[in-house]
Amino acid sequence: MSTASSAQAYHNNMVGPVMRAGDLALAVIEAARIDNPGKEVFVEDKRAYIRIHTEHEMILRRETIEEELGRPFRMNDLEVDLSSFAGQIESLDGAVRFYFAKKL
Amino acid sequence: MAVLNRMDWYDLARSTNWTPTYVTEDELFPPQLAGAFGLPQNAWEKYDEPYKQTYPEYVKVQRDKDAGAYSVKAALERSRIFENADPGWKSVMKAHYGAIARGEYAAASAEARMMRFSKAPGMRNMSTLGCLDEIRHGQMQLYFPHEHVSKDRQMDWAFKAYDTNDWAMIAARHFFDDIMMTRDAISVSIMLTFSFETGFTNMQFLGLAADAAEAGDHTFANLISSIQTDESRHAQIGGPALKILIENGQKAEAQKRVDIAVWGAWKLFSVLTGPIMDYYTPLEHRKQSFKEFMEEWIVAQFERALTDMGLELPWYWDIFLKDLSETHHGMHLGSYFWRPTVWWNPAAGVTPAERDWLEEKYPGWNDTWGQCWDVIIDNVVDGNMAMAYPETLPYVCNMCQLPILGTPGKGWNVKDYPLEYKGRLYHFGSEVDRWVFEQEPERYAGHLSIVDRFLAGMIQPMNLEGALAYMNIAPGEMGDDAHNYAWAEVYRALRETRKAG
Ligand SMILES: [Fe+2]
Ligand SMILES: [Fe+2]
Repeated sequence: MSTASSAQAYHNNMVGPVMRAGDLALAVIEAARIDNPGKEVFVEDKRAYIRIHTEHEMILRRETIEEELGRPFRMNDLEVDLSSFAGQIESLDGAVRFYFAKKL
Repeated sequence: MAVLNRMDWYDLARSTNWTPTYVTEDELFPPQLAGAFGLPQNAWEKYDEPYKQTYPEYVKVQRDKDAGAYSVKAALERSRIFENADPGWKSVMKAHYGAIARGEYAAASAEARMMRFSKAPGMRNMSTLGCLDEIRHGQMQLYFPHEHVSKDRQMDWAFKAYDTNDWAMIAARHFFDDIMMTRDAISVSIMLTFSFETGFTNMQFLGLAADAAEAGDHTFANLISSIQTDESRHAQIGGPALKILIENGQKAEAQKRVDIAVWGAWKLFSVLTGPIMDYYTPLEHRKQSFKEFMEEWIVAQFERALTDMGLELPWYWDIFLKDLSETHHGMHLGSYFWRPTVWWNPAAGVTPAERDWLEEKYPGWNDTWGQCWDVIIDNVVDGNMAMAYPETLPYVCNMCQLPILGTPGKGWNVKDYPLEYKGRLYHFGSEVDRWVFEQEPERYAGHLSIVDRFLAGMIQPMNLEGALAYMNIAPGEMGDDAHNYAWAEVYRALRETRKAG
């Protein structure tokens, strides 16, 4: 599966944020890799927005993003650049989870 | 001081339902406004919003967002982006602001209905924030274009389009009135937030931001993508309502609302977003074609979300997938030909290089829409400008209020879908538009399309001049070719070469 077409493929199982470009997006890409061990992270840069996806489920933890950003970060600060997302979302304490209830 | 984790108190803080003692539940939540689908308050208390936000968090995050958007605007104000932009790109901005800005206040009103009348406390909380979001969108999208009004009269339509009878605005109002101004709280959550916002707003606010970034208009790209961060939160209002309806045997009613809203959104985007992405945006700045953006946001992302919620694909999905390659080309041809009736200057977008791009993205374009453009191009090259302008109005659909069209040339499939209801003959542009009408005829039957108004003598004199006056388009505002037909020079030169050869 090519990175460029992963999220556009019909009936895919890709979940995760679509971020506005910037330092938060870069931190989220790193956090996606760290917080989802064993999963391939697909990154698709459309300049104004960046798709950051994994198969079926993705967890992003507050501490990981804070560490990657190098400044204090609260989980809800994600919203500043969270333009959209694929999959369903779940708000947790100190983390956010993207997932699909059904696998195709 | 120890602070509780948010999730320890969130549920309790927004459990704001109580048992009314002075009035009945129906008086507190009139069914027509609440739209409880026969379910009592306690069924709606199970509503659990997936994207949680508290008011203090909201204020901080929104402040950060505004600081970003306004500072980019201030920083780039002197870079003369607007003055130096391609005329096609200016038209993108004019169409966007006119069709969207004031509609944001209408959306705030729809959010306010959920805020007051929904029986689900979680929905009331999220739509309080959603209402503030929409006020922000209205304010920003009126403030940002304002600096351009003194340079270009058409920019004034950012402020007044919604007060006019322009055909495009009649279409936009008809759609937004249907999905958000005249529906109960639960239906608003399904039709506006779930159907429209989780899917289609991404096209206009992120897809278009990608084109804007390519075109160097970072103020606009930053503005609209920032708006979409609000949308991505409050678009989640509908999902939990859908789950409750499905659990309580109301799936068919929920599905019907989704099907109606998605179709109307598609038609509106085919006339608004399709032409600006595939024809107005300068060729070198097109990130993807309209169809590719639709496949990314609606077919891959939204369709997947829809089925994950436990809903079915709309019954017309095959028709929709086929129309993705067709409808907006007809909408562009129509709005270009009737360009005096719009508040922006449509870019033709049909130079030989652009036609190659269209043929590549939409195989068969030259044999279909290309044939109509050949006629327009010949008239322009010959200086037959009278033939390149309209004299009458196109026939419009009694549902989407947009021209009835199909594929011309070798793919000819132009067809009217009529319906007689209580002695009046209605015309529809597709089987789906007619189906929407049939779901609740009384909701739509009294509406007069612009053509109905014309035939009823409400538009005088009965010619283009009268139509323009009726649509509140002043001379100096009406649209003409974005590039003042400069693109025709290539064709003139080609013709000379052919003659010489
Ligand atoms: Fe909005
Ligand atoms: Fe919205």
